[in-house]
Amino acid sequence: MKRRDFLTLSAGAAAFSILPATVRAALPVPYDRNAEIPFKDKKSFIDWMVANRGEDPKFLAERFDRFQIMVYNKDVLDDRNKRAFLATPREEFVLQQNLGRAYDHAFLDIGYGVTISGPHLVGRMTTAIDVQFGEAVLEVGTGSGYQSAYLANLTDKVHTIEIINPLAQRTRRTYDALIDRGYSVFGSVTSRNADGYYGWESVGPFDKIIVTCGIDHIPPSLLQQLKPNGVMVIPVGPPGAQHVLKVIKQQLADSTFNIVRSDIYNGKVVPFVPFTKLEGDQIVGTHNG
Amino acid sequence: MTAVVSTSRPSIASLEAPRLAHYLAVGLIAGAIIALQIAVMRVFAVGSWSHFGSLVVSLAMLGFSLSSVVIFAGKDWFDRHWQGAATGALLLIGPLAVGTNLIAQTVPFNAIFLVSDPAQKWRLLANFLLYLLPFLAGAFFLGIVFLKSRTAFGRVYFADLTGSGLAGLVVLGSLYLFAPETIIVVPLLLWAAGSILWFIAFGAWKSVVAGVVVAALSIAGYLMLPGWLGISDIAVSQYKGVAYARNFPDGKRIYRSVSPFGDLQVYASSYMHFAPGLSDNAAFGMPEVPANTYVGMYRDGDGPEGIMRNLAPAEQVYFRFLPMHYPYVIKDKPKTFVVQFGGGISTQAALNAGSTSVTVAESNPMTLRAFRDPILRDVTGDILAEPRLKVIDYDGRLFLANTAERYDVIDLSLADSVGLSNPGGFAISEKYAYTHEAMLSYMHALADGGVLSITLWNKEEPPKSVLKLYSTIAEAAKTFDPKGAANDIFAVSSYLSTTTVLFKRGGFTEAEIKTLREYTKSMSWEEVYYPGMAYDGAGAQKVLDDYRASIFGSGQDATLTQPAADTTAPADPTAPNGACDPTAPADPTLDACAGAGGDAGPQVLPATEMQRMTWHALLTGGWQKLASDYVFDTRALSNDQPYFAAYVKVADLPRTLDRLDLFQDDWGYLLIWATLGIACITAASLVLLPVLFGWRIVFSRSRGKLGTILYFACLGLGYIMVEVGLISRFTVALANPTVSASVLISSMLVFSGLGSLFAERIFDRARTLLPVVLLAVCVLLLAYGFYLSPVLDWIGAYPYAIRLLLCFLLVSPPAFLMGMPMATAMTWLARLGKEHLFVWAWGINGCFSVIGSAAVPIVATSFGLSAVLQWSAIAYLIAIPAFFAVLLPSKAPSIRLVPA
Repeated sequence: MKRRDFLTLSAGAAAFSILPATVRAALPVPYDRNAEIPFKDKKSFIDWMVANRGEDPKFLAERFDRFQIMVYNKDVLDDRNKRAFLATPREEFVLQQNLGRAYDHAFLDIGYGVTISGPHLVGRMTTAIDVQFGEAVLEVGTGSGYQSAYLANLTDKVHTIEIINPLAQRTRRTYDALIDRGYSVFGSVTSRNADGYYGWESVGPFDKIIVTCGIDHIPPSLLQQLKPNGVMVIPVGPPGAQHVLKVIKQQLADSTFNIVRSDIYNGKVVPFVPFTKLEGDQIVGTHNG
Repeated sequence: MTAVVSTSRPSIASLEAPRLAHYLAVGLIAGAIIALQIAVMRVFAVGSWSHFGSLVVSLAMLGFSLSSVVIFAGKDWFDRHWQGAATGALLLIGPLAVGTNLIAQTVPFNAIFLVSDPAQKWRLLANFLLYLLPFLAGAFFLGIVFLKSRTAFGRVYFADLTGSGLAGLVVLGSLYLFAPETIIVVPLLLWAAGSILWFIAFGAWKSVVAGVVVAALSIAGYLMLPGWLGISDIAVSQYKGVAYARNFPDGKRIYRSVSPFGDLQVYASSYMHFAPGLSDNAAFGMPEVPANTYVGMYRDGDGPEGIMRNLAPAEQVYFRFLPMHYPYVIKDKPKTFVVQFGGGISTQAALNAGSTSVTVAESNPMTLRAFRDPILRDVTGDILAEPRLKVIDYDGRLFLANTAERYDVIDLSLADSVGLSNPGGFAISEKYAYTHEAMLSYMHALADGGVLSITLWNKEEPPKSVLKLYSTIAEAAKTFDPKGAANDIFAVSSYLSTTTVLFKRGGFTEAEIKTLREYTKSMSWEEVYYPGMAYDGAGAQKVLDDYRASIFGSGQDATLTQPAADTTAPADPTAPNGACDPTAPADPTLDACAGAGGDAGPQVLPATEMQRMTWHALLTGGWQKLASDYVFDTRALSNDQPYFAAYVKVADLPRTLDRLDLFQDDWGYLLIWATLGIACITAASLVLLPVLFGWRIVFSRSRGKLGTILYFACLGLGYIMVEVGLISRFTVALANPTVSASVLISSMLVFSGLGSLFAERIFDRARTLLPVVLLAVCVLLLAYGFYLSPVLDWIGAYPYAIRLLLCFLLVSPPAFLMGMPMATAMTWLARLGKEHLFVWAWGINGCFSVIGSAAVPIVATSFGLSAVLQWSAIAYLIAIPAFFAVLLPSKAPSIRLVPA
């Protein structure tokens, strides 16, 4: 880290830490979903986020470092996705004991036998379904709530279902607390505690569906509630080594449907991507970084 | 403890002439230690992952070596204070077993976070250290007893082995009575009985009282402390299948039975949905998906396996969308055989498809018992009572190998319905139902024109298990039908779902191929092989290279080396559209790819292309090169190497270290290498430790040091490798690893105990007779390596009790002989006055036992189970010349002891 950055961050952190909790809680300015969050350099990003969102510079620095690696690895591609990632405070969705590892290249335990996927995987999956503003998205398996929070920065119709009741309630409280603090964007997320196997018929059909829980087949109800030519993604395999199955409900000329399975790389074998880390301002390919 | 010493009678200040009560006590304590091992493994199997149980126990057994180092270092002190030390160690075993188990439940670790979470390895280490303690106390007690009874070694050793062996049987039986959360009561009872008897034997009445109090407190503490302290009796990982069932709002346990076959539980919940491999087209082809159709069966908390309710006639169209329906597309009113009943879905599919009769095999008696329970009878509509159904209560593979019956359809569908999709990896377990020999049995049992249908999970990318399955079936088909195999196979797969292979005796007709292809299309599954399928191999090498790079590539500039950007590569039929690079930094990106060329996806996925290449090479040539170029091991399964696991090629192992998260499904295999590494390092340091304690001074009078170390290392390695290797082999006949382990451990130890007792008769002529015994062991092991397989197949067809008895007897000849070398050599070390070597040999033997037990799965997966026995045979062969080093007299005059 450069000395100047260090001093700036230290000063920011010091100033931040003396603010009373109630002041820290509310956003300094109303949340703007379309804000042009600067992402070309770390300092302007942190400055902007501290000024506009009042977030902790420590986590902002970690978020930006992770962001740079994700851009390098092409986990996020377009500017909308990049800003959506940068706008989502992942630290609000991890357990207290994992706060120090919130932005690690790792999935983390969130209780109830559920994990929050690593930021790179969330980035890839979200990029893969290419959510446009106004599209209806269904998430099956709310879990920590981070995926839907990320999606809420891309569209205003996010629906999420969690099967485990206490987890669904906890995540709802997380959203409500954030909304109270001024994260109005999370008002776009409607959540419920139910069996996601049957989808959410009353609010469907959906343009995009993300399934984040294990199942031995694709639930027929979800395919039914997917719009023609809609896309569904499902991670398959053990956590940390998951492959993302992409399913497209292709509408044929005769109006019947054909379900096409592929992965999110559209049939290309993607070479192993090493762990990467920042050394100063440089991203270096390394292992076990 | 000094009170104990003072109250013991002077006449038995030494153990040179132990009494019956001493032998019984030693047997009970040794038995308690074995029982504790099995109990700890059960705790891990139910709480987290059985593999870690074996790992922890295996490393804890290093306690024996560690204790021998300490006794070695302080031999004179232990000689003087042996009674107090033994009493202390003895009284500590129980409290330590209870206390450490309780604390271990508060520091559970989670296998799936082992790489990603730095804290997990410390938790694993904490578990290892905690469970080490009771074993260490036990090892101290036995070590001291052996030290003090060295002239009667053969008999004490007999008591030790027999006690351990019989305790194995006691635990096996008690698994019917005690659930995993109370199973440690069994070792505690054995320990309590052993301790009290030990004190009684010395007439140490105060210690008897102390023993009773400590035992009562330990057992009461074990049963009550978790409740009082609010600690789980077994901390079940939230990532175990059963934990999810408990989290479902309406999750309710409707059945449970505990037995040596595992802790079988059935949960009902409306949240359970199974349809393994269901066609995506079911969403549009079925009027309604049957709701609330399943209950979930869990074994040791793993699962679920779906048990299907009795479907209404209108709902039965559902079966048509499952891959196990395939053979019935071309077989009308068949006589069907289902190789494994499991949760019963295949059987339901067979009945639903109009089979005139369905014979179904299930080797786990607890599964059948569950299905005959009134509650599950109600759920399934009493499927086992269906008049068309005939149940075989042993391994379907063995039944088909021995029957004269012939079947129109033989089905083996997702017999391990959860095995290949468990998070946290799967164990190195033997899959005998999928071996080359098994396939041949199935093929032979087909009627003319009969169809064998095998469905397996296809959830791996790059593909692993399915390629092993394909090569196994293809090789069997070529053996069965050398000229026509290429016409006998029809194979399909569904990406990241399932694969199904059909083999037809006599080959498919064109009409059948047409029917099957139409069915495949109607289900949106991918054709992988059919007779006459066109094949274009132009992109084959590229797929192979890409897959290797996807795992072991340098990762440098990862995205730029993608097929689309590689202009020098030959035309790639898998690339849907050269202009569509999903990683190209453009916006919008992936949506453009999705719609590229009016096609929603690529024409052929690399995984599907790989499967097509595999079948083409297997049936028309070029398989060897393809297999060697592919990133993972694709060798066929055989009875000698029945493993889907261990897919990393040995030469690639060092390269896995910096990318372990890519191998989360092969951790069972990688862990064993880790265990071997740790055991080797520990063993090396234990061998080197005498240098620190003054090797030259301590051993100056002992000749033949290196030879003696070699001898006991060979015995340690050889014995355990036979034991662990045979456990895997006997699973064929006994159908369950826990039962197989208990029977093998018991019979090996009991017969070895008898061997060590018998060895007294050859002590004086050991120089000539023991080499003969070692040679006989070597020859027997080689013979077992070559001829055991057909014998076990034959045994496997008998009723279970007879199978147990025959297995018990089959082990006896080598086990009896293998009991003699240890007892003979130890007695001679004592006779020659090599007391330090005596203690040392014990530790070396223990160390190499741990190395051997870790080496077995590695040798078995790399070279085969026969090789395990062959390596053991070689170890016993090497022990012959090494034995003469044991017999070298000390330089200084030794005290000639009269044999007991």
